[in-house]
Amino acid sequence: MPKITLNGKSIEVADGITIIEAYKQLDEPIAHYCWHPGLTIAGVCRLCVVEIEGNPRLQIACNTVVQDGMVVNNNSEKVKTAVKWGLDFHLINHPLDCPICDQAGECELQNQYMEFGKYDPEMAEHKVKKRKVVDLGERIVLDTERCILCSRCVRFTNEVSKTNELGIFNRGDRSEVGTFEDKPLNNKYSVNTVDICPVGALTSKDFRFRQRVWYLKDKPSICTGCSTGCSVNVYYNEEGIFRLKPRFNKDVNGYWMCDEGRDIYKHINKENRMVRGRYKKDGAWCSTLPLETAKKAGEKLRTYSADQIAVLVTGQYTNEELDVFVNYAVNKLGTKNIFHWKNNPDGWNEFDGLLLRGDKNPNSKGLQKVLQKHTVGGEWKDLVNQIDKFKAVVVAGPENLQAYPDLKEKIGTLARLECVVWATADDNIAFEGLMDFTYLIPQKTSVEKSGHFTNYNGLEQKVDVVTTLLSDSLNLEETVELLVGESVDMSQREKEDMHVMKKNYFTTERGRL
Amino acid sequence: MSIVKKPGAISNWYLPGIISGMIFTLRKMIYNIFHKDKMPTLNYPEEKYEYSPRFKGQHVLTVKKDGSIRCTACMLCATNCPAQCIKIVAAESEDPSVEKYPINYEIDVLRCVYCGYCEEACPVDAIRMGPEWQKPGANGSNFTYDIQELAYRPQLKGGIESRLDEQERHDFGI
Amino acid sequence: MEIKLLTEHYDKKEFRFIEGYKKLGGYETLKKAFSLKPEEIINEVKASGLRGRGGAGFPTGVKWSFLPQNGEKRYLLCNADEGEPGTFKDRLMMERAPHQLIEGMIISAYAINSPKSYIYVRGEYNYPIKVLEKALQEAYDAGYLGKNILGSGFDHDMDIYRGAGAYICGEETGMISSLEGKKGQPKLKPPFPAIKGYLGQPTIVNNVETLAAVKYIIRDGAEAYRKYGTEKSAGTKLFSVSGNVNKPGTYEVPLGYPLMDLINNECGGMKNGAKLKAVIPGGSSAPILTAEEVQKTTMDYECLAQMGSMLGSGAVIVMDDSNCMVDMLKVTLHFYHHESCGQCTPCREGTGWIHKIVSSIVNGEGRLQDIDLLEKIAQQMMGRTICALSDAAAMPTLGFITKFKDEFEFFVREGRSKVKEVRAHA
Repeated sequence: MPKITLNGKSIEVADGITIIEAYKQLDEPIAHYCWHPGLTIAGVCRLCVVEIEGNPRLQIACNTVVQDGMVVNNNSEKVKTAVKWGLDFHLINHPLDCPICDQAGECELQNQYMEFGKYDPEMAEHKVKKRKVVDLGERIVLDTERCILCSRCVRFTNEVSKTNELGIFNRGDRSEVGTFEDKPLNNKYSVNTVDICPVGALTSKDFRFRQRVWYLKDKPSICTGCSTGCSVNVYYNEEGIFRLKPRFNKDVNGYWMCDEGRDIYKHINKENRMVRGRYKKDGAWCSTLPLETAKKAGEKLRTYSADQIAVLVTGQYTNEELDVFVNYAVNKLGTKNIFHWKNNPDGWNEFDGLLLRGDKNPNSKGLQKVLQKHTVGGEWKDLVNQIDKFKAVVVAGPENLQAYPDLKEKIGTLARLECVVWATADDNIAFEGLMDFTYLIPQKTSVEKSGHFTNYNGLEQKVDVVTTLLSDSLNLEETVELLVGESVDMSQREKEDMHVMKKNYFTTERGRL
Repeated sequence: MSIVKKPGAISNWYLPGIISGMIFTLRKMIYNIFHKDKMPTLNYPEEKYEYSPRFKGQHVLTVKKDGSIRCTACMLCATNCPAQCIKIVAAESEDPSVEKYPINYEIDVLRCVYCGYCEEACPVDAIRMGPEWQKPGANGSNFTYDIQELAYRPQLKGGIESRLDEQERHDFGI
Repeated sequence: MEIKLLTEHYDKKEFRFIEGYKKLGGYETLKKAFSLKPEEIINEVKASGLRGRGGAGFPTGVKWSFLPQNGEKRYLLCNADEGEPGTFKDRLMMERAPHQLIEGMIISAYAINSPKSYIYVRGEYNYPIKVLEKALQEAYDAGYLGKNILGSGFDHDMDIYRGAGAYICGEETGMISSLEGKKGQPKLKPPFPAIKGYLGQPTIVNNVETLAAVKYIIRDGAEAYRKYGTEKSAGTKLFSVSGNVNKPGTYEVPLGYPLMDLINNECGGMKNGAKLKAVIPGGSSAPILTAEEVQKTTMDYECLAQMGSMLGSGAVIVMDDSNCMVDMLKVTLHFYHHESCGQCTPCREGTGWIHKIVSSIVNGEGRLQDIDLLEKIAQQMMGRTICALSDAAAMPTLGFITKFKDEFEFFVREGRSKVKEVRAHA
């Protein structure tokens, strides 16, 4: 364990780490662009210069391994001047079109210039003009003028996604990031390049121009796109959720997440949600409050005997919800006919080697555990085999309907039953295919409730309420309580909601600027 | 409110006071007839007051040489606005040299406090506070002004041109 | 006084072919080398005080002994990517004496126990490549290359790799990147090439002249080699002299030779008897020397370092008083701006910036503060990058500005050159 002194502070660090990592451990400010903990060292931005005692030349912290007794500082005048000029070198050919740049507000060039900059630009020559608004495939737009050539994105495609699309072309100040012959950058992890881009050179088409980042707040959550359960930050405001970004978690996803997972916010936003509860009566849909729908469904359900009721459940709910749900189904409804509905049983165990898994549910492991506890459980095909036995079915349906492409076909099968009680968060045209005595009960999504998800590896991860988009909708626990005829105290919940959505929450605490 | 009364019987008489008041008014009237230019009041609306060029009146969105809107939808005005009366919806422009522009720019002038912070925040001289200040409207009329009103209202005669031109800047290598 | 050690037979046409080369004593040293142990060769080279002739002047024997003592495959690379403006000695050595280089390389490869070597030749050198290719074939045919050379049990293969004309590929790690098939960009050091170089294996990169000199050190012994030159700068060196002299060309003189003698004796003095104004002693990246400084300059590593310049690749550019220094700096910076690989920010942006500033001075748009700004930028470019290209652009800039400040100020004030009409450059 080498002992070193950084800016006058002593610290004992692990063997073989670099000076910049020691700086990060100590939480001392150090300017850098090209260094990223998840990538190899490029050492090209030359900003993380430090002064090492006994060495007349300034060294870069990212490529210098600590040695015992090293005395390092980055607050001497010499280093400060070097960093100031280093930042100015980055800026002389930067277009400074911050007003139209989506990165503004979370731009490293802005942040670090504020902290370490020279504040006295001396560049009076013409800037180098390069290509702007280059379409780089399905998800990404490139602006080569804004690029500071830190090569993070190039290293990402070489080392992490291993797809090698990106490269730096030309030499000197004519260098440009790009793809060979402008081939599209379409890999399953492409938007990570946008996250690691310290400036606005790579921007996501999905998020482009939709919000300025200082209008957004972020809270940690878990991606529910597949059973990997990547840690994410959810960026939202009063209008809804705008994007997901990966959050570092060394046990699950490291620094990355897949592009598919970034799209899950879309089904959570109001446009795709089931806002009001609905039930079908005499061939026509009636809409009521979710609570009322659940109560009505409960009344109808209790007219059937226990063995006429089947229960279908997906791994898209939290452990807590599933525990109560299965418990009530077994003990209160009295049915043992509980079936686990999987999105694609054939490709269930698929894995792309990095993050993406075939099991598109965040909590399949948790569901299996609950089912085992009550010694119940079957598969979809078991339900189909004995479907004539049942008259009613309670479906704890998927929150993300996109993950279940064969939804329509499955609904067709269930429509053969007399009564369908379906708990769902999303609305879908396929629900039109259901018959009389169908009850659709709006559910909360993963960002609107707290609980635990168990990922493919058995790791339990906590999610907290991020925001409330539809305060009327129920969670599965409340739904099943209402179905068996118990009352739910909504006043308790109102308080919770109010806590999250305090009046003027966004206007009094607008983002940092 | 307290009334100060001078002691004595004379103060109970109203007539001397009224007459002296009338005389004062008459004197002023005659003076004003002969010194019209020194009159402190205006015959509004026939006559209008000329405000200084710095007056912060009705907002104007400036336009480029080609008549399209100068605003780049950076939302700095909306961020800076203390009354939060500016609402902008940005979109991607077909023209790659423009990149971002507002498809919707609304100012709720009833909420606006005419502080001029939007003008100060604007990096591209896209919003100015103009000299107009008369904005009558019937009960129920819409006081949320959109781009059409802000940039192309008839009084502006086809739009106010912005000082900053993107093409000129580009050609100069900035 | 010119010493013909490496260049002894350069005038003889048969020296470029194997028969003639052997007749003049060629490949005899190789036999001698095989009778020695590799360590003995390394020690001999160390004792000779031979320093890298490519620019940096690092002791060759020391470099060789940095190789890790394990069984990893080692590579020997010959740096023939002669890109430094003003240098043309390697071309001459490859054209006139290809076998001399090949023999030196086989000896060096034997010393460091490398089974494979490459000669990385600059792409524009069409003719030298042809000559080398022919010579390589001859050497293979004669059994000097391939398996079990001269029955010594030593196997060695040699290839020629043609560069594509990038100056930066003359930097050893840039050359390794290029040889690996990547973009020619220098790599981060550490690890140094001697530890992790070509294809991740230990690699030694040496200049053409260095490797050729190894042959003479082994032939005559370290003591004989040390006879030439000074205590710290031993041996002879080829200087490429260009500019306003009567007889520009490549001359081999011992290190420590006075610069004025080189100009007056070997090169026949200044052209048209003009007045000497300045000399760039070591290729365009070496800081310029004024006429007064030239008087007391001797051509060795120490003296030039003391003068604030460097020996570099030995390219002596002589300028008479008809040369405009502002224009000269602009031409130099245009080269570095064009050749910066674009990896490190200070170099990528800095070279372009100072080139633009000097260009605007030449175009009559300069401001007086630009001169100070140039100095500030150059200082911030020094020692901030992976390789030395940034320094190579910054050092001459500082040299020109400090030594000829009056010319720059005149240009800014008057909008014209103090010396002459300046040609328009792209």
